[in-house]
Amino acid sequence: MSWEQLIWFAAAATLCWITGAVLAFRSKRWWTAATASIAGSVIFFAYIVGMWIALERPPMRTMGETRLWYSFFLSIAGVAVFIRWRYKWILSFSTMMSVVFICVNLFKPEIHSKSLMPALQSVWFVPHVIVYMFAYAMMGAVTLFALYLWLRKREAEATEMGVCDNLVRIGWAFLTLGMIMGALWAKQAWGDYWTWDPKETWAAATWLSYLLYLHLRPRLKDNNIAFAVLCFSFLLLQMCWYGINYLPSAQGASVHVY
Amino acid sequence: MTLQWGYKRAFLRCALLFVAGTTLQMGLGDIDNSFLRYPWGLIIAINYVYLLVLIHFQQERWSWLKRLSDHYACTSSLVAMILMTMIFGLTRQDPATEGLVGALGFSRMTSSWSFNILLLYFTTTTGLAVMDDLHHIRKRRVAAVMSHLAVFVMLVAGIFGSGDKVRVSVNTQLNKPVHMGVDRAGKPTQLPFAITLKEFKMDEYPPKLYVLNTATQTSSRDFLSVEEVGASMVVDGWELTAEQYIDMAGRMPESDEYREMQHIGAAPAVLVRAKNTLSGEEYRGWVSCGSFIFEPSYLFLSKDIAVAMPRREAKRYLSRIEAENEKGETEKFNIEVNHPAKIGSWHIYQVGYDTARGRWSSTSVLECVRDGWYSAVHIALWTMLAAGVVMFVTAGGRKPRKEEQR
Repeated sequence: MSWEQLIWFAAAATLCWITGAVLAFRSKRWWTAATASIAGSVIFFAYIVGMWIALERPPMRTMGETRLWYSFFLSIAGVAVFIRWRYKWILSFSTMMSVVFICVNLFKPEIHSKSLMPALQSVWFVPHVIVYMFAYAMMGAVTLFALYLWLRKREAEATEMGVCDNLVRIGWAFLTLGMIMGALWAKQAWGDYWTWDPKETWAAATWLSYLLYLHLRPRLKDNNIAFAVLCFSFLLLQMCWYGINYLPSAQGASVHVY
Repeated sequence: MTLQWGYKRAFLRCALLFVAGTTLQMGLGDIDNSFLRYPWGLIIAINYVYLLVLIHFQQERWSWLKRLSDHYACTSSLVAMILMTMIFGLTRQDPATEGLVGALGFSRMTSSWSFNILLLYFTTTTGLAVMDDLHHIRKRRVAAVMSHLAVFVMLVAGIFGSGDKVRVSVNTQLNKPVHMGVDRAGKPTQLPFAITLKEFKMDEYPPKLYVLNTATQTSSRDFLSVEEVGASMVVDGWELTAEQYIDMAGRMPESDEYREMQHIGAAPAVLVRAKNTLSGEEYRGWVSCGSFIFEPSYLFLSKDIAVAMPRREAKRYLSRIEAENEKGETEKFNIEVNHPAKIGSWHIYQVGYDTARGRWSSTSVLECVRDGWYSAVHIALWTMLAAGVVMFVTAGGRKPRKEEQR
């Protein structure tokens, strides 16, 4: 398996995801939409597994590789939310975002080295990255939904705000898991569980910002503040994910370079 | 939208704490946490927690104490921490920074007064939330109680235990016992054991061949990974084929040929055939990354274009050590990155080696770390991990309770 084959797997997966998104609105049987979406995710996961075998290491080292997981987990997050709460729109959102990240990988191919430096050879590497990508996917979905609620003319209903809260709770739970796994790993690798590396600093800012949302929401009467906090938190998340690669203060100061 | 008075007061409190911190920073300089060494760090931490317990139980008598644990305090401390963390992230951490950023302590954030005072305020609001949670545990969400408690323990250990962490870097050489190292400040430090490096071993990734432009000092994005003889790939319009590969090779000074050499300093060498995919032009020759004994070899394809092999990347490296404690007892350990050794309250980490000699390194850089507070942090980290799982499982499907809307 190589990057050349991505387009075929991505095309088949996207077709399934779009079918699922359409069926969510058209079909009376919810499980048909769920099955189509899961089929898309399975096809995409097959590609990831193929890359894992071909690279002889988990495909989680480069930005392109983490984008693969992001697309995959967006689709999984979408179908999981759909099955649990039956929000019809979620499959369209998750499909759109997954496809955007697949397109980035297709149109901006990067060189993918086979080497995995010793520090990355840890039992924590795979769960740390996977959990973070799942969290990012959830936060991406909730940001889009919040923007939709914010920009439309009608005031958001309590149930719609409840969707935001649930997605943030799940996303924040995964952010926490990712951060703690990173801390346990760092202790094992370097003897410090927290070193205020630029990536860690921005991860802390992101985590605190979503935590602010969770603490504010029960007492908040103005939904606009909630939406603003969500969008701001997602900007912090972007800074944490790839923004630090361009940030002058982080150049040469982070061990999270990829 | 008008801001409620409670928020105004809480944000004003944060602003005053920031101003106080900045004034202290200007007047006293960075915080020196050496006073937090055992037992003082522990004594202060116990008193701090006791103070929080007192505040919690005296809140009914003195209502102003409630302002430290209401949701205004919670929100303001969170906002303050977000802002300080953002400044932290946007400022290059360099102790030598001068000017306003340096004077405010932002370039040495972990030792700056304003950051630490606001962190203590955040810890205090979290600690009071823990007291409140424990007092009304039946009415609280499990995930919230676990998260508050875990974050509080981590913060208390991080703040009051910061002076107790010892990191000693030890440069070991083959078969030479070492019992001294240097700490982060460069001060020689005695260890309670002696370390002897018995063996240093390194596995490397297969060599990679790049097409190098010597005029612009740039190399190709693609490369040929020589995993076996016959490996081939088109790199920057040249089809590179590995015709022969010697893992441990050397050459005579007057010769261009590489041959097998089982000796310290041997370098990997690949006999490469490079064929231009457009013109059909063909070159053949040995390419090697060299070593501390041998010069590197390149295959020139034109005046400025050459096939080059960078130093092989380390796959894993391992130090076999023997540690002898003060009683004369010896113990053997294998130390790798991600696999530290544990001797009493110390952990020994693999940090580096002599990169100039690579796999032939006869020295290994180890770091001995003692962190008396880590047991508490370790439990808190796992509690937080469990809290994340509980939060995921219980997310959704329930409205907040009245007590949580307080």
